[in-house]
This record gives sequence, structure tokens and C-alpha cells, in this order.
Amino acid sequence: MFGSIRHKRSLVAAATLATAALTLSTLPAQAFSPHYEVGVSASTIKLGITIPLTGSAAPGYNKVPAAMSAYFNYVNDNGGVNGRKISLVVKDDAYLPTLAVAKTNDLVLKDKVFAVVGALGTANNKAVASSVNLGRRGIPSLFINTGYSGFADKAKYPTTYPLLPSYIVEAKIMGQYIKDNYAGKKLGLIYQDDDFGSDAQAGFKAAGVKFDVSVPYASGSQSAASGAAWVGKLKAAGAEVVVVFGVSSATGVALAASAALSYKAQWILGSVGGDATTLKALGVPAAILTGAQGASFLPSPGDATDEYIKQFQDINTKYNAGAVFDNNVLIAMNTAMLTVQALRAAGSNPTRAGLMAALESKGGSFASASFSPILYSSSSHVGYTGYWIGKYNSSGVMLPDGGKYTLYTTDSGAGAVNTVASKRPAMPAKGLPNN
Amino acid sequence: MGEVHKSRSIRLLVFIVIALAAFFLSNVVDELRVFQGASLSVYIVAIASIVLLTGYSGQISLGHGALMAIGGYSAVLAHNHWKVSIPISFAIAIVSTAFFGSILGWAAARLKGPYLAGTTLALAVGLPSLANQFSVLGGEQGLAFDVGAPPKSLGSDFTQYKWYFWICALAALIIVWITQNILTSRYGRQWRAMRSAPISASLSGIQIGRSKVLAFTISSGIAGLAGAMLVMTLNLVTPSAFPLSLSFAIVTGAVLAGVTNLGGGVIGALVLVAIPDIADLLAGKMGGAEKISANLPGFITSLILIVTVLLLPNGPKLSKLVSHKTK
Repeated sequence: MFGSIRHKRSLVAAATLATAALTLSTLPAQAFSPHYEVGVSASTIKLGITIPLTGSAAPGYNKVPAAMSAYFNYVNDNGGVNGRKISLVVKDDAYLPTLAVAKTNDLVLKDKVFAVVGALGTANNKAVASSVNLGRRGIPSLFINTGYSGFADKAKYPTTYPLLPSYIVEAKIMGQYIKDNYAGKKLGLIYQDDDFGSDAQAGFKAAGVKFDVSVPYASGSQSAASGAAWVGKLKAAGAEVVVVFGVSSATGVALAASAALSYKAQWILGSVGGDATTLKALGVPAAILTGAQGASFLPSPGDATDEYIKQFQDINTKYNAGAVFDNNVLIAMNTAMLTVQALRAAGSNPTRAGLMAALESKGGSFASASFSPILYSSSSHVGYTGYWIGKYNSSGVMLPDGGKYTLYTTDSGAGAVNTVASKRPAMPAKGLPNN
Repeated sequence: MGEVHKSRSIRLLVFIVIALAAFFLSNVVDELRVFQGASLSVYIVAIASIVLLTGYSGQISLGHGALMAIGGYSAVLAHNHWKVSIPISFAIAIVSTAFFGSILGWAAARLKGPYLAGTTLALAVGLPSLANQFSVLGGEQGLAFDVGAPPKSLGSDFTQYKWYFWICALAALIIVWITQNILTSRYGRQWRAMRSAPISASLSGIQIGRSKVLAFTISSGIAGLAGAMLVMTLNLVTPSAFPLSLSFAIVTGAVLAGVTNLGGGVIGALVLVAIPDIADLLAGKMGGAEKISANLPGFITSLILIVTVLLLPNGPKLSKLVSHKTK
């Protein structure tokens, strides 16, 4: 008999629930302020970022959010953007696509950000694009921190704006450089076994470079033991010139292992994992880095004669207490400065659609530290397209070959690698955009 | 007999009322709550699989996260390669995971207590990362699982999240209804007899081994469905969708509501969905460092598990009242 009492109770509960639901449904829909876009108020603009702060890929990248916030705070203290202060909501995705999806959902649904800025990682951005579907929702994802060439596909990623030159561009330029300078040498490649790495392989193939030994690694799998295994393979194949096209943690592991195993090669480091400060923090001896080569699209962070570097270093000292000024801080501040220009260009009452329209019509003229132009237009989401090649000196500063920056540019297709005169807009006074 | 029929039809009525309530609620609350509703449904199904296995047949599993992974990958592979519809891919997830579970259950039936826990735990640790070894499974980057936009007929302001919620809520209601019926059937009674007094159960003609394998198989099938639902809400299947903490979370959710109480699973699921919010709130109070809020949910889950086992070993008062009355 207890059964009927129990069922009576669940019936009552269910009926109450249904009544509550019906009552609630008669309430008016949420009353949003009619004047402002989501994430924008009279006094603030809220932005969000997902980036690894913990986990194996975190070293280096974990400095980015603080440096971006430092630049935004500097701008906020100097009047903000049309009177509004910028705030940045930071979410740790541990370089895992599922976490990136969950955290971006949080940014969109809980924090209700105006736009996502500088979201990091190829796999992560792909997952977010298909799952959270920022495109379908019309939410801009600005200056994503990945060079996967596919993100420039405007039809597939309508609200995504890549900034970095694509990995294909980087590999083509490196490939050309290798052909010009290391012809006849035995070549080795360490690459990440996902879209990041497949882009690199496509680029080297386009440049006509064939590696004698290729070592793929799974994202997140790098340890001292795996480093030793990679170096073992390179050594066995007798590679004399080795390209490391991986994240900092993988690059660090490879270099530390080759120092430990006294394996000598001419190292060429991809821009993703080529930050000297991060590598040193990961235990890479200075000796093995000295003489290694690398590619970068921004001036060397150690080059205090550069007007952008000088200004950013100044802001870093005042607003980002204690942080060593390296490539991560530089990319962060450069991204933040572009963001401020985009927000200014979107007008006094910014909307998401307006922001993207402004990027496409004016983005090419924004001031930025790179010598490469930005190719945004109504038909293109391609950002930078160029790299310069340099060599690390004994204090870990990468300096350009021959003492001056030579910019190589190309596209993600079959186009040739060209040398162009490096030209860029001057740094706005005090580093405060006036566009 | 009439009594049984009556109680079954009342139960069906209750489920229909809940479904209607959920439908109306999904139209009123904001998108975040709708999305959390989808997660809630996933947890309810996952917890149901633990209730059946642990609460009824008395077997412990710390590896249901791995079974969810099998369900998730099966659904995605079927959907992407054979272009089957969502319900079919869910059914494939159930069948393939149940098949795997029957093999596992065959081994599990020979193990008891901590040994069984250890074996299933190893599965939770190892199995999802197997995906990194086979390129067809997409590695850490995973495979996309795009179930597509909601049908146009539902209107232009019908969001993707509401679509997930509807699919998940419907799947959860159906599977919980079926599970409830299994638990009140002779199999459910056999399991309970076997759990409380294995020797007298076998003396009265219950084949312990077969009965245990059957429980493990059905429980695995349900877990597989939960996995398929989970990857649908993520639009993506990767090893990192099934961390060790997921296995612990669903056991916590089941224990929280008294592990023999299917309805109480809703409470367990609610707590699991609320934990990240609570963690955010606490982290905000502690200075808002993202590093803290990333690690806090695991800590809170463990804490709740310990406190529940210490203070409410049979779940909260509600289940005590019911069990008291059944005496």
C-alpha cells in the first residue's frame, strides 16, 4: 500500500512543478537595456579570453592575460575607450579542447562578454567554433592566438579574426631559408601531431623541403623521457639541421634533452615555441640556445631601440609588476593595443556587428608592432603574412640576421616567398591609440 | 496485478507531467539555465547507471567515465561515418557500450569490493587516452559531433542549447522510466536479494554470476547513453571530456542521494551541475584567481563525498523517510 502514498506524493510534486512552470512562463522576457550590446554598459566593455594557465602547455602562455590586462588598465587610466573601461575575464582551459568549450560557454552565457579576444590554440579554437558556435551567434573572436591557416576561411569562421601569420606561411618562409642556407644538410623536424603540425608540413612541402627524419608528438604528451626519445631518433638519422615546430614546453623538452645527450645540431625554432625566457624557465641551458635560429613576426622583445618595444616595456614596468618582458608579454600587449583600436573604430556605441565591420574596413591601418601588414578586408580575414629570421645571442635575445629586420612574406597557398621592405605605422603617442 | 498496472500508469503519468514542466521551463529560463538543464540530464542518466549497478546489484565501479567514453566515441563514429540520425547514434552508443560492459562484467563478477573498484579505476585512467593511439579517433584534438541546428519549424529564436536540452531531457526521461521499470521487475528484486544476502539468494535459485553480469551490462548501456549525450552537448568528443574526475563525480552524485534511490539521482545531478558555480563563487571570495577556481570543483566534489558518507550514508532525509515506510 505504501506505493500509492509514494506515488501520490510524486504526483503532487510533479503538479507543483508544472504549475510553477506555467506561472513563470507568463512573466515578461528578460528586460535588457535596449541601448547597449551584450557586454557593453555605459561605463564598461567586457571581453573574455581562454588560455592555458595550468597544465603542460601553460609555461609562457600563462603570462599573456596579465599583460593584456596591464595594457587595458593603462588605457583605462588614460580615459578608456570612448569613456568606457575595458575589463578582461580570464578562463583557464589547460590547453584542452573540452575545457575551452566549457569555459567559452561560461564567457558567453555567464559572463556575457562582448567579444572573445586572443583565445589560444588550434584545436581549442576549432572545438569552440563548432561547439559554442560563435559564428552562428555573431560573437566576435578577435586576434586568436593560433596560426592555423583554416581560420582565415570566412565562410566557415565568419566571426573569427586570426592575427598571426599562418603556420603554412611560417613553414614556407623557414623552408625557403633552409634551402638557401642549408642545402645538402640532413634535415630533421619535430612537430605537433594535429592541425598545427599538418599546417607546418603543408608549408614545408610547398617550399619543396624534405626532411630526412620527422618526429611527431601528441599535444600534452611532452616529458623529459619523450624528449630523450625524440633526440634519439634525430641522432640515429644524423640530422644536422633540426626544426622544432611545437609549443614552448615541447621545444624546451627537445632542447634540454639534446643538451643532456650532447647532441649538436643547428636548431631552428618556430615562433610558437621560440620564446627564450620561457625556454630558460623550462630548464634549457643558455649554451644550447646560443646560435639557434628562429622566426618571428614581431620585433625582438630585447630590442629596446624599437619604439613599440620601448613603449610596451614602459607600460609593463608600471602596470605588470614583476613580469619579465618577453615574447608572450609583447604579443599580449600588441593584441591588446589592436583590440583598443578595433573598439575605438566601432564607434561610441559599439555593437558586435559594428566591431567586425570596423575591423574589416579599417583593420589594415591599425598601428601594430609587426613589420607585416594586416590584410583584413571585407573579403579576407588574413592577419599578418610575414616573418623575419634571426639568431639567438648568448643572452637569449633573438637578433635579426645581418643586423636589420628583413621581412619575408608569402601566402598560405602556392605563392612565392618575397622579401619586402619592412614598414609599419608609427607607435601612437604614449602608446595610446588615437584612430 | 491490477495494483501493479495502476502504479505503472501513474508512474508514466508522472513522467509525462515532468516532461511538460521541463518543456515549459526551457521556454522561460535564460540560456545558461537551459544549457545546465542539458548537463543535468546527462548526470541523471549517468547516476541512474550507478544506482542500478551499485545500489541494486551491489557492484562498485569507479570506471563509468570510461564507459561513457565508449558510448561517446561510438555515437560520434556512427554519426560521422554512417550518417545515422541522433536517436540511432544514441542507440548504437547504448548497444556497443553494453556489449563492452558485458565483457567487463564477466570479469567484474569474479572481483569484489576494493579489487573491483581498482580494476574499474584503472579503466577510467587508461581507456580514454587510448584515443590518442588511433588516428581514426582524432587524438587529443578529438572528433567533431555536429548534430546540426534545431529544425526550422521550431522557430528562429529556438537556440542550439534549447535543442540540446530537449534531446537530452527526452533521452533522460525515457531511460530513467525504463530503468525504474527494470528495478521494480524481478531482475531488480533478484539484484537486491543478491546484494543483501548472496548466499540465501543463490539458495533460492538466483544465479549470482549471471545476475551480476546482466546488471553490469545494463548499467554500461545506460552509461554509454550518458556519454553520447555528453559529447552531443560539447559538439565534440576528446579524451579530455572523460577525465578521472567524471567517474568520481557520478559516483558522488549517486551516493549523495542515497545510492538506492533513482529519483534522488536528480538531487545528486543538481549538486554536480551547481558545483562549478559554487566554486566560482568561492574563488571570487578568495581573490578570484582562475587557478583556484580551476581546481576547486574537484576539491568540493571530494569533500561532499566524504561528508555524505560520514553523515548521511543512506542519502538525505527524503530517502530515509521512504525506506522507513517500506519496513
